[in-house]
Amino acid sequence: MTSELVYTPVSELAPIRDHLNASFKAGKAKSIAFRKEQLLQLAYLFQDNIKPFQDALAKDLGRPVLESNMLDLSGIIGDALYAYKNIDSWVKPDKAPFDINWFPFSPKINKEPKGTVLIISPFNYPLWCMGPIAGAIAAGCAVVTKPSELTPATSQLITDLFPKYLDQDLYRVVNGAVEETTKLLSLKWDHILYTGSGRVGRIIALAAAKHLTPATLELGGKSPVIVDSNSDFDLTAKRLLWGKMINSGQTCTAPDYVIVPDSAQAKLVTALKVQYKKFYGDDPRTSGSFSRICATAHWDRINGLLAETKGNIVVGGEGIRAEKYIAPTIVQNVSFDDSLMTEELFGPILCIIPVPSIEIGLQYIRSHDSPLALYVFSKDSKFRKYGKYISLITSPPNILHNARSVRENTLSGMFFENDVVLQGGSSVTPFGGVGPSGYGAHKGKYSFDMFTHHRSSYSSPSWIDVIMGVRFPPYTDVTLKKVNSLVLPTIPYPRPGESAPFNWKRYVTFAVVFAAVAMNKQRITNFIKP
Amino acid sequence: MSPTLVYTPIDEIPKIHASVVAAFDNGTGKLANLSFRKNQLLQLGYAFQDNLKRWEEALASDMGRPRMESHMSDISGMLSEVTFAYNNVSSWAKDSGPTNWTPTWAAFSPTIRKEPVGVVLIITPFNFPIWTLTPLVGAISAGCPAVIKPSELTPATSALLAEILPQYLDQSLYRVVNGAVAETTKLLELRWDHIMYTGSGSVGRIVATAAARHLTPVTLELGGKSPVFIDPGADLALAARRILWGKFVNAGQTCIAPDHVLIPESIKDKFVKECQEVYQSFYPEGPEKSDSFGRIISTRHAERIKGYLDQTKGEIVFGGEVNLETKFVAPTLVKNVTPDDSLMQDEIFGPVLPLVTVKDVNEGIRLVNSRDRPLTLYIFSNDTKFKSLILGSTISGSVLINDVLMQGGSGNYKGKFGFDTFTHLRPTLTSSKWLDLILNFRYPPYNDDKFKAMSKQVMPSLPAARPTPTGTTKPQ
Repeated sequence: MTSELVYTPVSELAPIRDHLNASFKAGKAKSIAFRKEQLLQLAYLFQDNIKPFQDALAKDLGRPVLESNMLDLSGIIGDALYAYKNIDSWVKPDKAPFDINWFPFSPKINKEPKGTVLIISPFNYPLWCMGPIAGAIAAGCAVVTKPSELTPATSQLITDLFPKYLDQDLYRVVNGAVEETTKLLSLKWDHILYTGSGRVGRIIALAAAKHLTPATLELGGKSPVIVDSNSDFDLTAKRLLWGKMINSGQTCTAPDYVIVPDSAQAKLVTALKVQYKKFYGDDPRTSGSFSRICATAHWDRINGLLAETKGNIVVGGEGIRAEKYIAPTIVQNVSFDDSLMTEELFGPILCIIPVPSIEIGLQYIRSHDSPLALYVFSKDSKFRKYGKYISLITSPPNILHNARSVRENTLSGMFFENDVVLQGGSSVTPFGGVGPSGYGAHKGKYSFDMFTHHRSSYSSPSWIDVIMGVRFPPYTDVTLKKVNSLVLPTIPYPRPGESAPFNWKRYVTFAVVFAAVAMNKQRITNFIKP
Repeated sequence: MSPTLVYTPIDEIPKIHASVVAAFDNGTGKLANLSFRKNQLLQLGYAFQDNLKRWEEALASDMGRPRMESHMSDISGMLSEVTFAYNNVSSWAKDSGPTNWTPTWAAFSPTIRKEPVGVVLIITPFNFPIWTLTPLVGAISAGCPAVIKPSELTPATSALLAEILPQYLDQSLYRVVNGAVAETTKLLELRWDHIMYTGSGSVGRIVATAAARHLTPVTLELGGKSPVFIDPGADLALAARRILWGKFVNAGQTCIAPDHVLIPESIKDKFVKECQEVYQSFYPEGPEKSDSFGRIISTRHAERIKGYLDQTKGEIVFGGEVNLETKFVAPTLVKNVTPDDSLMQDEIFGPVLPLVTVKDVNEGIRLVNSRDRPLTLYIFSNDTKFKSLILGSTISGSVLINDVLMQGGSGNYKGKFGFDTFTHLRPTLTSSKWLDLILNFRYPPYNDDKFKAMSKQVMPSLPAARPTPTGTTKPQ
């Protein structure tokens, strides 16, 4: 197994896309049986090669095998199988909901593949991020996927295995860095899925705009955690530390910073120190339960932020550049303008920000980019959600003392109570951001829908012009009246501020029915009880 | 009396943007209240219902629109969307559940909350100024503030929007901005949470490029050359009637207008005869005198269409006259048009129907597939095989069988689609303490026992025997 990643020659990229386009147009991916077979092949590709993938991920990211299985391999195999099990129901046309005006047209929504799609994956979870390929295969699309050049061993392994399992007329891997990606982005695709940073996300969106290509962007941001004074601190600490430190903090939904009331910071930090010892013993570096940073450039970035912090390092803080190792680190008394708060950390540093009131924390979150995920730890469910919302326009934060709900007062891609990160394993809820954290979603049916064109179809019966014949010229006052009675509704509700007019029709109808029943009482009784 | 169109001063535009952004305030406040949204929906409907005559006059002034066409398309479109949204917003806005029930995830009580994406920008075109504004219904239903930029090519209607909407809608949240290129460019420099653009592909690219800088998602409703397939066995009288109706409504300026017909050689003459009869019945006194035929939106567009007609190598069956002063382009039928003709390059967007002769349906399919995917595709046929062949071999935005244009009125799909476009699905998961009885393996220190427990819980097992591939690969 090599760890030298071979880049695809730039001149081959357009021909690859053209070849896949031709196969797609020739209808190669039409048959559902074919797609299911390819989905199983995708699953076997990974299941047959668990050990090589574990080795590659260890080489690229210093990954312990438990994390590779739990967070990467189970994801891609699970997605392939989930699509295999559900594709038959997904491809069925949807019937439009019943509407008295439109049912004669038998409206349906057919599921058709968008075409040839491009999927660009990042370095942090190379296999989990490939999950949407299952959705694309299920949708009947041809796929070009470009894994990250920052994970050379894993990307080369994927490249070597694809031709052994998947139809090479439809599903191809290409490799490269900036030059190759730029070339790919200059071509026309029918959908682009990009997972990575906001900076590159803009480049992707700009390239897609030139061809009017729809895109899905899975970006990141600083995912906040709010910890209530009324929390189970042991549980909170355990889960926070876990979610932060897996993959050495390189998780798009990692808890980035923690907002906690002044009075509760000490309790939280104490609980965190206890868990830290349990997790790593005396030396995280040799514990076998902790990953490494992907690239030296990233190590420099994270270390630089840490070096400038004005918070207090409680535990950790050391690192070894040659090993791309940064110790799992906890920093308390961080303020909102600290170096650690200037960008998404994407590293194993947990910042604790004490606040005089939760409102200050909410104010900060609301005035910054909508995050990909938002976490809240509290025993009080009303603190977490469904409680009152507050409008910060009219209520200055410092006059509010009661607990109020975090969810209703914030926006985020996803929301999780009393835990972190696990939502990445769910195939039944959409995984995606809002605002600068991205747009679109994947996992499960959401991946299928991303690569599907919902093509509505209608069928007009010949007799419809018995009614709709009034649409044809010449237009007259008579035909206009008829058209209006057919298609121009009057608003059936009173104008706001007015009460409903007396509904004489209802009373007349009622009176008529009542009279009819009264006059036929005997007949009706006989009918019911012969 | 039509008001004159006043462009919004450029330096006011960022202020308007800032004020609606502040009013959005993360979707809290009035917007979180469904009664408020329903109230605003009704207000929007009444803005049109109360002022029918003025809207008719504005549309007539802008593009010679017959009352009938304004009612059938623009006004009824808006009022039905408003009513449909009013009736359904409560159920649309409810939390929904996971796509499937699974034991693993049920333990996390997943729900999906419908949240407004934020502040939206809606840019509308000249052809159906009110119907294309219906995304505003979706925005209001979803709880999003909106800024609307209607077309400067319909000055009377756009001025009327700027006059009437502020009398009905909450001005802290829903604003009208008028202008042309400079004002639109300014709007596109600002950050929106979604941009809805209806219009041409070339401007669509400009909008998408501007949006990309802010990572703003866009919805583009563009156009294309929507083809019509006719089966030799079809009812030609019915087809001629409906196709010509769809082509001549709004003087052909409809994004889903039947652009051209792929006519089988065997029925060409018969079809032309049917069209001539329909034409006589539509305009007994001739189209220029008729109250039932509109005008082109601008001299520039009339010149564009005249250009196609001047250069066509096809044979004009009826029509062909152009009066640039009155922006009149006659309803026109051209036969024997070839795929490389002037009429077959760009979307015509005018009342000229080319007939392209094809040997058989496969030639038609090849022709359609050799070009950009059309917005919609029409098939006149009662033969299931014929229809399936075309449906299976082509890609288009939508399909309508045996009629034209009607899909533009379909309220259902359009209605909820508007709400969905401006809604972010925010999943909520809730974890409990006892889950760690099962999930304890996730915590360090990692060891063999935890690894075994994790594998049992999390690693999927494949349900089927390894497939024998039929593709071009061989497994290991």
